[in-house]
Amino acid sequence: MNAIILPALPLAGALLVAALPPRTRLGGPVAVAILVVTLALGAWAAASEPASSWPWSPLIRPSLQVEGFSRMMVVLVPAIAVPVVAYAAATERDALPRLLALMVAFVGAMLLLVTAADFVALLIGWELVGAISWALIAHHWSDRRNAGSAAQAFLTTRAGDLGLYAAAGVTFAESGSFSFAGLARMDAVPLAAVAAGVVLAAAAKSAQLPFSPWLFSAMAGPTPVSALLHSATMVAAGAYLLIKLSPMLSQVAWFPAVVASLGLATAIAGGVVALLQTHPKRLLAGSTSAQYGFMFMAVGAGYPAAAAAQLVTHAAFKSLLFLGAGTAIHVSDGEDLLRMRLRRAVPLIAALSAIGALALAGVPFLGGAWSKDRIIASTLAYAPWLGAGALVAAFLSGAYIFRYHVLAYGAPREPQEPPATGTHARAPGRVETGAVAALTALTLLLSLLWLPGAGRIFEDTLGGRLPTPAAWEFAASLLLLLLAAAVVVALSRLDVLGTLALPAGRQRSGADWLALPTLSRVLVAAPVLAISRLLAALDQRLIDAGVRGAAATAGLASRLLSLRIEWSVDGIVTLLARSTLGGARASRQSDDAFVDRAVEDAAAGVGVAGRLSRRLQTGFTHQYYVVVALGLIVVVALLAFQL
Amino acid sequence: MLTAAIFTPIIAAVLFALWPLRRQQPAMTPPPPDDADPTPDPGAEAPMATAERALPTPGRPEEQLLQAAATLVAAVPLALLVASWIGFDSTGGFEQVQTLTWIPTLGVSYRVGVDGLSLPLATMVAFVFIAAIAYPVDLRGRAGSYFALMLFLEGVSIGLFLALDLFLFFVFWDLSLVGMYFLIGAWGHGDAARSALKFFIYTFSGSLALLLAILGLYLASDPRTFDMAQLIRQQPLSGTGVYASLVFLGFFLGFAIKTPLVPFHTWLPPAHVDAPAPASAILAGVLLKMGTYGFVRILLAMMPETFGHYAIPLGVLAVISILYGALVALAQSNLKRLIAYTSVNHMGYVILGVAVAGLAVSGEAKAQSLALTGAVVEMVAHGLITGALFLISGSVLARGSTYEMDVYGGLAERARMLTGVTVVAAFASLGLPGLAGFVAEIQIFAGALGVSPPLAIIGLLGILITAALFLRMLQRLFLGPLPVRWRGFPDLTLQETVVLGAMLFFVVFIGVAPARLLDVIDSFARPFVGRI
Repeated sequence: MNAIILPALPLAGALLVAALPPRTRLGGPVAVAILVVTLALGAWAAASEPASSWPWSPLIRPSLQVEGFSRMMVVLVPAIAVPVVAYAAATERDALPRLLALMVAFVGAMLLLVTAADFVALLIGWELVGAISWALIAHHWSDRRNAGSAAQAFLTTRAGDLGLYAAAGVTFAESGSFSFAGLARMDAVPLAAVAAGVVLAAAAKSAQLPFSPWLFSAMAGPTPVSALLHSATMVAAGAYLLIKLSPMLSQVAWFPAVVASLGLATAIAGGVVALLQTHPKRLLAGSTSAQYGFMFMAVGAGYPAAAAAQLVTHAAFKSLLFLGAGTAIHVSDGEDLLRMRLRRAVPLIAALSAIGALALAGVPFLGGAWSKDRIIASTLAYAPWLGAGALVAAFLSGAYIFRYHVLAYGAPREPQEPPATGTHARAPGRVETGAVAALTALTLLLSLLWLPGAGRIFEDTLGGRLPTPAAWEFAASLLLLLLAAAVVVALSRLDVLGTLALPAGRQRSGADWLALPTLSRVLVAAPVLAISRLLAALDQRLIDAGVRGAAATAGLASRLLSLRIEWSVDGIVTLLARSTLGGARASRQSDDAFVDRAVEDAAAGVGVAGRLSRRLQTGFTHQYYVVVALGLIVVVALLAFQL
Repeated sequence: MLTAAIFTPIIAAVLFALWPLRRQQPAMTPPPPDDADPTPDPGAEAPMATAERALPTPGRPEEQLLQAAATLVAAVPLALLVASWIGFDSTGGFEQVQTLTWIPTLGVSYRVGVDGLSLPLATMVAFVFIAAIAYPVDLRGRAGSYFALMLFLEGVSIGLFLALDLFLFFVFWDLSLVGMYFLIGAWGHGDAARSALKFFIYTFSGSLALLLAILGLYLASDPRTFDMAQLIRQQPLSGTGVYASLVFLGFFLGFAIKTPLVPFHTWLPPAHVDAPAPASAILAGVLLKMGTYGFVRILLAMMPETFGHYAIPLGVLAVISILYGALVALAQSNLKRLIAYTSVNHMGYVILGVAVAGLAVSGEAKAQSLALTGAVVEMVAHGLITGALFLISGSVLARGSTYEMDVYGGLAERARMLTGVTVVAAFASLGLPGLAGFVAEIQIFAGALGVSPPLAIIGLLGILITAALFLRMLQRLFLGPLPVRWRGFPDLTLQETVVLGAMLFFVVFIGVAPARLLDVIDSFARPFVGRI
C-alpha cells in the first residue's frame, strides 16, 4: 500500500463527517471510527515503512516516507486523537459536525506533515495544520474576540512559516530539489540559511519565545481542540521538525547554542508564566511552551532522541491534563482556578488528572520522569549553564503543576464547604470519563520506559544516542521536585496559593506572557496597521495626483492650443461641412437618384462630423486629453517612421 | 479550431446586439437606479423593514433565456480549447498554427496558435468568461447588449492570447479596452462613468506606448515582420542602447499600466469598485493577465538581453507592488477595493517570477524555469481565485447594497454557503497549500530565492500581510454577532453556488493535482529559460 493513504483517509473522512446529517448524532461514532482505522493504518505504516510520491513536475515531487521518528508519530497522533475526539463528541454542543470534521482533518494534515520527506509536502501539511487550527480556534465565531484570537494564532505561526518557505527555496536552489536528502550535500552558508528558516518556523509553531503568546489566543477554541493542538498536532510540529532535521542542521555552527538557549529561555519564562496563571487552560498553555522548551534544549544539546522521548510522553500527559481541565471548567461552570478545588465533585477525574500532573512534574516511575531525566542529562552533558537552567525549569514545572492540581482538583479548604459546582454543571458522562481514563492508561503505559533496555526504542528509531542520567542527577531532580511540592503545600497552608500574595495587576501582567503580547502589539501589529493606513490614504491622493496632474496639464495645454487654433480649426470644419452640404444639395438636383442618395448620406455624415468636432471645444479636460493623445500618436508615429 | 474559438463569441455577439432592438423596445421601461446610492437605506435599520431582504429579481424569462444562450455560446471556446489541450503535445514551440494573409505589404498576417504559455491562459480566460456570463447581474433592461459585449470581449480576449502576430495582438488589445469601457460605464454603479473614463484613458495611454514599441520592434526587424515566432527567432533588438531601451520602455509602460505595477495602478481600484461584479471578474481575471502575458510573451521572449539588464529594477518594482498592494489592501474598509489591491499584490508575484526568470545569470536555469512556471501558474490561479472573489463581492452588494465591510458581521449564521465559498476563495488567495495559489507561490519564491535572495525574502513578507488582510475580511463579514438588520440576509442562490462552485473546484483541482498543467507550462518554460 501507499503511504499517501495515511493522511488521505482522515482528510477524506473529514468530508464524510461534515456531510453527515446533524440530527443523526452519528458524527461522534463515525469520527472516532475513522481515527481508529487511521490508528491501525499508522501501526501498519510504522511497521512497514511505506513511501509514496506525487510528482507535480520534474522539479517538484512532493513525497512521503514513513521512517525514523515518523514511525512513532504516525502512531502517536491518531492514538491521542481517538480519545480526544470521543471526548469532544461527548461534551461539545455547538456545530458539532463541523468541529469533529475539522478535528479529523487536523489529524490528517498532521499525518501529512510527519510523513513528509521533502519541503513541499512538509509545507502543505504545515500550513494546512495552521489553517485548520484557525477554523478550530474560531469555532465559537459569534464572539468577535474568538475570531480575533484565531487570526492572531494563524498569523503568528504563519510568520514562522515564512522561514519554511525560505528554507524550501534555499534547499531547491542549492540541491536542485526540495527533498530533505539534499540537505546533506549543502555548503555551510546555504545550510545555515536553511537552519535559520527551520528554527524560525519551529519556534513559531512550538510556541517558543517570542512567539509563545499565540498559544494563549488559541485558548479561545473548545478545550478538546487545545488538548489535540498542544499534544500531538500543531505545537508538536515544530519540535518534530527540529528533531527530524537536527542531524543535518547541527553541522551549522550556531545551531546547537541558539536552539538550546531558545529552549531554555522559553522553559523558564513559560514556567514563571504558568506559575502565575489563574486560568486553568492558560496555565497549561504556558506549561506547553515550557515543555517544548525542554525539547528544544535537548535538540540543541545534540540529543534529539531525548527530545523525541519527551514529545511522546508529553503528548500523553498534556492531552490528559487538558481534558481534565475541560471537565473542571464544565463542572465549575467557569474558568477561574481560584474557584475550583473539585476533588469531591468529581473524584474520579481528579484522580486521573493527578496522574497527568505527576507525569508532567516528573515523578518516578512515570514515563514523564524518564524522559525529563534524559533531557536534563542531555543538557548537563552539553554545558553546565544549560544543565543548571534545565534544573531550574524542572523545579518550576513541578511547582506550577502541583499548584494547578491543588487549585483545580484539590480538596476544598473548608471541609463543610459545598463543591464549587456551577449552575449549569453536570456530572461527567461515561464517554467523557472513558476518554480521560484512556489517556491516563496511555500515560501509565509509558512508565514501561523505565524497564531496562526499553529506552533503546528511541535510539533505534531515531538513530541517535540517549544519555544515561548519573545517580546524582536523578537525586537532584527528585530533590527539586520535593522542594516544589513543599513550596506548594506551604503556600496552600498560607492560603495564598492562588494569588501568590502578589498584587493582582502584577500577577495578571506577568501571567500574560510577561507583557509580551503588549510588546508585539506595540512593536509589530500597530506599526504595520499604521503604515498600511498611511499608504492607503496616500495612494489615491498622492500617486493618483501625479496621474491627475498629467491629465490636467494636458487639458490646460489643449485649452491653450485651442484658444490659438479654435477659430481656424472650427472654421475649417464648418467650411468643409457647409461646402459638402452645398455640394450635396447641388447634386440632389441631378437625375441619378442612386448617386444622390449616396452623396446625401455622405454629406449628412460629414455634417455630423462637423457638429461633433465643434463639440470638441467642450471645456472638459478629459476630452481635450483624448484629442491631445490622439494627436501625439500621429506625431510620434510619423517621427518613428522617419527614423 | 482556434479561430473558431475566437470568432464564435464575436459573431454571436452581433446577433445578441441585434436582439433587443426587435424584441424589447416596446416593453423597455427604465429601471430605477436602485443601487446608485452605495450607502444603505437608513430605514433599513428598522427590523420590520429587513425581515426578508429581497434578492435582485432573477430577471424576466426572456433575460434568463438570453443568459442561458450566452452561457452556451461562451462555452464553445472552452470546448474548443479543451480539444486543443488534448491535441497539444508539449513540443515547446507554437502548435496548431493557422495563418491567413491580411496586409501583405506591411507583413501583417492573421496568425494564431498555442504554446505552453498561451494555452493555459486562454483556457482560463474562456472559463472565467463562462462564469462571469452565467453569474446573475442587474441587467438594467439591456440584456441583449450586455451579453453581446461580454461575448465580444470573450472572443477578443481569447484572440489576444492566441495571436501570433504583433499587429493582431495590438488590435485585440485595444478592442478589449473598448469592450470593458462600455461594460463599466453602462452597467456600473456609483461614479461609473468617471471610473470607466479613467480606466479607458489611463490604459489607452499605455496602449499608445505599446503601439510605439511595437512599431519600433517592427522597424528593427529584418526582414520586417510582425510575426511573433519570427521576432522571437530574430531577436531584432539587444543591449541597452537608446533605441532598444526606448522600445523596452514603451512595452514596459504598456504592460505595467495594464498589469498594473505600482505606481501605475491607480486606475484599478475605482474601475473595480464601480464595475458590475462580472465585469470586475473579467477585469481582474482576464484583462490584467494581458499585461503579465505581454511581459512574458514580448519583453522576455523577444528582447531577453535587454530584459536581463533591466530585470533587477523590474524585480524591485514587483516586490514594491507585492508589499504595497498588500499593505494598502490591509487598510481598506471597502470589500471590492480590498480585493482590487490584492490583485496588485498578486500581479507583483507574477512579475517577480518573470523578472528573476529573465535575469542574466548563469547556472540557475532550474530555479529560473521554476520561477517562470510559477508566474504562469499564478496568472491562471489568480484569474480563477480573484474572479471568484469579485463575483462574491457582487453577491454581497446585491444583498446588502454596500461594499463597506464594517456594516456587515456574523453573516456566517445566515449565509453558510456564501461563507464557505468565501473562506475557500480567501484562503486560496492567501496561498494556502492544497489550493491553486500555493502551487504558484512556492515556485515563484523558491525560484526567486535561487536567483535573487533579497528580493525573494522581502517579497515573502507579502504572504503574511495577505493572510492578515483576508482573515480580517472574513472576520468583518462573517464572524462576530449578527446585526439585527441582517437577520433576513439570504444565502447564495443555486445559480451563484453552481458558478462559484465550479470556479473553486478548479482552484482545488490545480492545488491538489497540478501535474498536467505544470507539464504544459513547463514545455514552454524549460527550453525558454535554457535559451537565455
